[in-house]
Amino acid sequence: MTLDRTRDALTQLFYRGGSIVLFVLLWQLACSAGLAPETFVASPVVIVETLWSYILDGSLYRHSVVSLSRAFYGFILAVAVAVPLGFMLGGWFKSFERIMGPLLTFLGQFNPFALFSVFLLLFGIGEVSKVAMIFWVAIWPVLFNAALGVRTVDPLHVKLARSMGMGRIRLLWKIVIPSSASFLFSGLRLAAATAFFMLIPAEMMGASRGLGWLIINAQVNYQIPKLYTGTLVIVVFGLLIDLLFKLLEKKVVVWKEAKVL
Amino acid sequence: MTGKAIARDLPEALRKYALLIALLALWEVSGRLGWADRQFLPSFTDTLNAVFEMWERTHLFMHIMVSLTRVTVGLLAAVALGVPLAYLLGLVFPVLAARVEALLRVFALVNPYCVFPLFVVFFGSGETAKISVLAWVSLWPVFFGTLAGMRGVDPYLVRTAKSMTAGALASFWKVILPAASPSIFNGVRIGVEMSFFILIAAEMTGATAGLGWIVHSAGALNQVPRIYGAGLCIVVLGVFLNRSLLYFRNGLFFWKAETDPISGAQLGGGRPIGRAAAAAACAAFVAVMAVGIFEIWRAEALLNDPGEIPEYRVWTE
Repeated sequence: MTLDRTRDALTQLFYRGGSIVLFVLLWQLACSAGLAPETFVASPVVIVETLWSYILDGSLYRHSVVSLSRAFYGFILAVAVAVPLGFMLGGWFKSFERIMGPLLTFLGQFNPFALFSVFLLLFGIGEVSKVAMIFWVAIWPVLFNAALGVRTVDPLHVKLARSMGMGRIRLLWKIVIPSSASFLFSGLRLAAATAFFMLIPAEMMGASRGLGWLIINAQVNYQIPKLYTGTLVIVVFGLLIDLLFKLLEKKVVVWKEAKVL
Repeated sequence: MTGKAIARDLPEALRKYALLIALLALWEVSGRLGWADRQFLPSFTDTLNAVFEMWERTHLFMHIMVSLTRVTVGLLAAVALGVPLAYLLGLVFPVLAARVEALLRVFALVNPYCVFPLFVVFFGSGETAKISVLAWVSLWPVFFGTLAGMRGVDPYLVRTAKSMTAGALASFWKVILPAASPSIFNGVRIGVEMSFFILIAAEMTGATAGLGWIVHSAGALNQVPRIYGAGLCIVVLGVFLNRSLLYFRNGLFFWKAETDPISGAQLGGGRPIGRAAAAAACAAFVAVMAVGIFEIWRAEALLNDPGEIPEYRVWTE
């Protein structure tokens, strides 16, 4: 029984990950055969060697911690602001929504890089301006999805709960948050992905540490293996962040049916 | 629009933009009254002045068109590549799609910024490399949006079409594409947003023209009003791109109107675009592209023009 299941899981993994393995093999072959110009394309073996040396000398750890903590603080701040705001906008206070809604919709279209210089002027060249940038890109998906989640709560459930004498706080906990949880999670996932994606250009423009800096430094100094290694690390982190949110959603939103796609 | 309709819609517009206007007023007043250091926070009118000044003296129009063209051409390339690819993988070879999806998800995570040298290998160091970076960024949302749309097409519709002896091409044009297009369009909108973000960042680090370049060069020359002016232009261009996509979306898929992300109110009329309007939009699009390509060429010519004003030359060297 367990053996069967393990075998099934392995087959699945093979089918789904096989293309990645094949791609890496072809890449290595192309590099070994000299088909790819060595000055522009580093082979997977070289990348792994470089990665290993960065792990050993601790620089990988140092840069990753810097980047991840920037992304984390920006993201957490955005969530802390956006979730309550989204809930309020989504129907708690009608007049608040009527006044704030259009402005927020408009602000959500602002390009963070247009604001980059403004953030620099306001917050200086330190950590705060980068965290502010991440905050800016992460806040909108969470805000809009939270508002959408609250708006799509079944009014029948709310009425039912009210008629049974449920108070506002309990209503929030028992009806509104569970009903909007799946929207909330998709907002969080999108925000985390965008935050990490935008962190790299943000670090390229004005930082002296972090993964984005590592890559721009490699570009400027023409260290191709270093460049690919940095890219690989960023991709792996991106995958891990996505996986983390998927798992979290599965653990928290247990009542949601699996999507049939 | 009759006078009555204007009178009815005015309070609505006032309510909608009241806070925005208040914010702009606060910006202006804080500069004028010295609440904020004008060195770092020029007032709204100073910013507008900077915009006009750049329009007259430093080819602002050219930079706007260059940025706009880069985004649009990148997007067109992404759609031309992503939609057929997603059709092939989603409906023609679904087994292959299941096998390579993991690899494609990994590709989607590769930040094009990181592998810019690879783009230079394939596309040279000029405009093509920049546009292909943008195409790469918007390709993945378009591709995955289309894939989701293709997979979500009701199989009964396709079978019904088949039983009415529709060929592969006819069922694609008449059934699959219309059914999948709202999802495709969502992908396109996310793609535009992402590539516009990346465009400004790319122009800030490695370009010689475009709005992002203005921000960068004005920053280096400490021309603070110009930074704000260029920022204002970027914001307006972003809103313009978003709005025009929304217009097409509502016209093309009038049965599925877009809603405001916060209030849930329907945006746009949800009326189909007429033939005349569609033709006008196409003509306008072609004209903008023609002007844009001319301006890109002009930006390159200006770089090598010794008679050009120094401001434009200094920071491109």
